[in-house]
Amino acid sequence: MKKLKLSRFVQVRNTTEHYRQSNHYKKGEVAAAYGFLIPALVLATLFIVLPIILAFTYGFTDYYLLKPDAKQFTGMENFKRMLTDDVLRQSFLNTIKFVVLVVPLQLAMALGLALIVNKKFKGVGLFRTAYFSPAVLSLVVISILWTVMLNPTSGLINEMLANIGISKQPFLTSSSQAMYTIVVISAWSGCGYQMMIFLAGLKNIDNQIYEAAEIDGANGLQKFLYITIPSLKPITMFLVITTTIQAFKLIVQPMVMTGGGPDYSTMTILQYIYEYGFRHRNVGYASAITLVFTVFLIIVSIGIKRLFGEEKAA
Amino acid sequence: MKLVKKSLFYVLAVAVALQFMIPLLWMILSSFKIDEVIYRDIGGIFAIIPRFSDLSLKSYTELLGLYNIFKNVGNSLIYASVTVVFGLTINSLAGYALARFKFPFKDGILIFIIALMIVPIEATILPLFLVVNEMGLINTVPGYLLPFIVNVMNIFLFRQHFLSFPGELIESGKIDGLSELGCFFRIVIPSSLNMYVTVGILTFLASWNDFLWPVMALSNSDLMPIQVALNAVFSDTYNIFTSHMMAALTIVTIPIVILYIFFQKYIVEGSMSSGIK
Repeated sequence: MKKLKLSRFVQVRNTTEHYRQSNHYKKGEVAAAYGFLIPALVLATLFIVLPIILAFTYGFTDYYLLKPDAKQFTGMENFKRMLTDDVLRQSFLNTIKFVVLVVPLQLAMALGLALIVNKKFKGVGLFRTAYFSPAVLSLVVISILWTVMLNPTSGLINEMLANIGISKQPFLTSSSQAMYTIVVISAWSGCGYQMMIFLAGLKNIDNQIYEAAEIDGANGLQKFLYITIPSLKPITMFLVITTTIQAFKLIVQPMVMTGGGPDYSTMTILQYIYEYGFRHRNVGYASAITLVFTVFLIIVSIGIKRLFGEEKAA
Repeated sequence: MKLVKKSLFYVLAVAVALQFMIPLLWMILSSFKIDEVIYRDIGGIFAIIPRFSDLSLKSYTELLGLYNIFKNVGNSLIYASVTVVFGLTINSLAGYALARFKFPFKDGILIFIIALMIVPIEATILPLFLVVNEMGLINTVPGYLLPFIVNVMNIFLFRQHFLSFPGELIESGKIDGLSELGCFFRIVIPSSLNMYVTVGILTFLASWNDFLWPVMALSNSDLMPIQVALNAVFSDTYNIFTSHMMAALTIVTIPIVILYIFFQKYIVEGSMSSGIK
């Protein structure tokens, strides 16, 4: 206790001292500061700022990577083309569909799991490990494993479904089922993490609140609706924000599992940029899409933070 | 009544656990079988329960005879370790300078870092490729590793952490004749190990799991990290045996299982504070 007060005193003294000599920097300190900062600043400028500038400049050209000298300024041509690009429109709608489905599904699953393992019963640690276990698999491993398991003719899932009398499903090979399949797999693989975060939130709720509610005659459902849900609000908002932004950047699962097909039904925006800019070397058009997508994501992330208020978890 | 309720709860908990465990159990078990046995067992209970007479290491020895998976696993371990060491050093130095020193343009640099936090990195992956391409570093290890060493989120986390670092400790180091850099390595890092382990583990996992960037930056199969090599094996050799594929997936998962056994606490706490994943 005494130590804490002392350090506070020291800190206050330091700030007033700094305030007094606000325009006098210590030479050694300035040199050290820039020495410490320069590696990070150089790398951030090269690999975060410069790409954005390049997207800006190339987005207005017809740059084809294999003929760099033939690139010409084309004005708004790329952006006009985006408006009439059917595959781009579908990729955008696919991405929105994925976000709208996966965020609530994954968070609901995570909360459900957290509620199970928040109970005190024999073997609870074992169940927590079981629910969390998909987290050890990388996205590529998950994608390959599920592609094998979902094989329409001989896969594990169809054979299991046959046991309960459900006929064979095409899953990833059907344009009407592929995106839903990816949604479920993504939620399955991601909810273990978020279960742990919800669990930490549940453990933080003061037990006395529940006891007080019991004395007032509240039942289980009422306690859940009026105590648990409101107490978890900050954590939920935090998870909604991070999961939404992450979901917009979906690419690995469709890249490995479907290649964007069948019939572009699982093509996402990021994958479309990859296909156009990297595979087909059509850098000009892909840069224009990158630019619009980046601005869109920045607006979305600022937007949902505004919408929910800047509440911090934990 | 209470007993009925309790057993119903257990049935539910076990049923849910199976949903999460079956793919993993099937993957590991199938890696110890041959394809005929895998597909003989596939609809029944023995798909996920071992019968020891069926199990062998055949798929592992065959896989390793066809393809040296440890080379790409080794690449990934090296890449992830290098990213952790350089990333921790560079990002924490920057965070430390922003927390402790007083220098011109300090506020401007801090705002710059915070502004960069909102840039969705993966979205700008194509122009990043163009930058590295124009530096002539595509298909080289430095070209692959350099862009993801700096992490503005981690700079910010380190800054927040160092804001409350006791200044007396550093003053005493200076009295003992240490330079600023000396203080940093001899005093600051040793007394912030918890923070370094947390950020380090998350960096390691992100690098290990990375897929999109190495696909673009490294096309030479000798340099590929394991995630890219796995996908290449899976999609190029169309008729690969299921047992071989499952053996490969199991091998790739082992290092992460080990990491989780030792560091689970750090991983969960870290992803909460930084919002990664």
